[in-house]
Amino acid sequence: MNILFILIVPFILAVLPSVVKKPRLLGILNSVGYLFVLLCSLWLVLKPDMVVSPSRFFYIDALSIFFIFTISIVTFSAALFSVDYIERDISSFFISRNKARAYYTFFNIFSLSMFFVPMVRNLALGWVAIEMTTLASAFLVGFYNTKSSIEAAWKYIMVCSVGIIFALFGTIVFYYASSCVGVKNLNWADMVSASHSMDKNLIKIAFLFILVGYGTKAGLAPMHTWLPDAHSQAISPISALLSGVLLKTAIYAILRFTIITNECVGSDFSSKLFIIFALISLGVSAGFIIIQKQMKRLLAYSSIEHVGVIFLGFGFGGVIGLYGALFHVLNHAVTKSLMFFGAANIIKKYKKDNMNIMRGVISSMPFTGTMFILGMFALIGMPPFSIFFSELLILMAGLGKGLYLASGLYLFFIALIFGGILFHFSKVLFGDKPDGMACAKEGASVKIVFIFLFILTVVLGLAMPGFLNKIIASSVAILGGA
Amino acid sequence: MYIFLIGIIIMSYTMVMAKRMTSLVASFRMQSLFLFLATFFMAMKEKSAELYIVAGLLLLLKVILIPKFLSDIIRKLKMEEGIGLFLNPLVSLLIAVFLTYISYVFTTRVITFASASQAFSFSASLSVTMIGLFIMIFRMKALSQVIGFLAMENGLFLVASTVSGGMPFFVEIAIFMDVFVSVVIFGIFIYRINKLFTHIDVSKLNTLRR
Repeated sequence: MNILFILIVPFILAVLPSVVKKPRLLGILNSVGYLFVLLCSLWLVLKPDMVVSPSRFFYIDALSIFFIFTISIVTFSAALFSVDYIERDISSFFISRNKARAYYTFFNIFSLSMFFVPMVRNLALGWVAIEMTTLASAFLVGFYNTKSSIEAAWKYIMVCSVGIIFALFGTIVFYYASSCVGVKNLNWADMVSASHSMDKNLIKIAFLFILVGYGTKAGLAPMHTWLPDAHSQAISPISALLSGVLLKTAIYAILRFTIITNECVGSDFSSKLFIIFALISLGVSAGFIIIQKQMKRLLAYSSIEHVGVIFLGFGFGGVIGLYGALFHVLNHAVTKSLMFFGAANIIKKYKKDNMNIMRGVISSMPFTGTMFILGMFALIGMPPFSIFFSELLILMAGLGKGLYLASGLYLFFIALIFGGILFHFSKVLFGDKPDGMACAKEGASVKIVFIFLFILTVVLGLAMPGFLNKIIASSVAILGGA
Repeated sequence: MYIFLIGIIIMSYTMVMAKRMTSLVASFRMQSLFLFLATFFMAMKEKSAELYIVAGLLLLLKVILIPKFLSDIIRKLKMEEGIGLFLNPLVSLLIAVFLTYISYVFTTRVITFASASQAFSFSASLSVTMIGLFIMIFRMKALSQVIGFLAMENGLFLVASTVSGGMPFFVEIAIFMDVFVSVVIFGIFIYRINKLFTHIDVSKLNTLRR
């Protein structure tokens, strides 16, 4: 039942703007709706054994619940953050009130399609859901209708469409391989059970297509070219959604196919590919972070880095590696949302996004500045924040497997990025604030979002709640780490 | 059967050779027509009602509606006819032929198929997909990129309907819907680009660097 609630709420909220005209009221209703969704998904996490999928259309296991939970955390924070953000956009005449209503409609279509991805039983329908996420979010990337945002949206929609075509090609080849052994329905569970007898070569080729295709959407280098543009040009609450969870839905899709592939050809094949792509992503992001000038672009490249870390964890494998990777999925979603919201406030206040001339954020916006600095430490992997622990787990997995070169490169790139982010952001955070700039006061809803996300990063780092631990452990078992 | 596949590939070549937008759309329409015929032929062979419906949808969407939509865009934007060649037609054709050869070698060497005709279909669709990708990368107008995307999708339909005997029915319908929605959304963005930049030359979209 809860699963249906999670889908119905965004659907209702998507049509709501045609009835409710006031943007602020819409924003508040939106947040309440997503609070409800968050509670529903929390219930799923607490009682995973009691989850029954409402029809043959859905397939819910621990792995899906974990991703649903991650998505609901970020959608809730983005919804709450949007209330003030959109209102300020309206009052400074960036957008009209009608446009604000369109924003809420697209926001909800986008979230709805993201919630679909981990729920559907059929792999091709999962593909449709992922393509819908691209189409819905393209409008949100090009939301301000400026030259640069439309350019980013076009690049986004084109590059991801090509990626998604490759993914569909892979899906069809998977289908062919399974139909040769009698499974003709593309249902994930049936395909897993039939995977032993599938043609090994065919599965390998299909998996390559899947990895390149969905990898484009997940932001793996060298297919990442759309990502920095789209994330930096999107309206800020959406940047958090794109980076925090859109990439994760593509990762989820890859994982489902990985399970079939590993059953068929052994885990060596996918592991090697994951490690190679992960290291390329880490290297590319490290280079671009160091020379970066814009705050949101820097955060976008940092997303590529973290996707790389996640795939490295999956590539290293074993219980520790898989656990670390899944844990990192959640940690990155939480921390990166915090950072994008912080950057959004800062850019709004300074009216520019150039880190070479912005100074004194701590003194001009004490609350956002403090949260931003703490979030920065969390993002670059300082203890006691959660990202430190997941990155450590992944490192341990690599060393445990004896993959010293990959682990060494991983440490090296992480250290470079550590230095790069610290250098760029400390310039912006400290120093004298510009003359005549008043101290900023954030609204209550904005403060709640920051504190909520910050508490999550700390709690996940220091004292992982037992129920969450259990759901990640059972997801690891599904991924074959048992 | 083979004649349809060869038709589809040849239409890919004419798309690569096309110098003007209208002829690009016309080639795409012809390619979709051959795809429709191939699917229709499969439907007759397998006597499957679902494949008939899929063929009908192909005819409706890809042969009639989408090319009409694209021609409308060309007419309304009054764009000058060039499609933004990045490589000249002859070199492009050579590359396209080479892509076909690579697809053929790849298919026959790496994969073992149940029958020779399946292997042929698979290599044909792989090569159509690759040529579509080539058009997307090496043609600089937003609209020609959309057509490249559609050509890639034609390759996909070919592999779905001929090699694997059609995907599950509701999946095919969902994918059709998806293609249609994406083309409409591409169209909306093309209009927006045209309005903001007064052209749709993608190679000149370069405000975002690094």
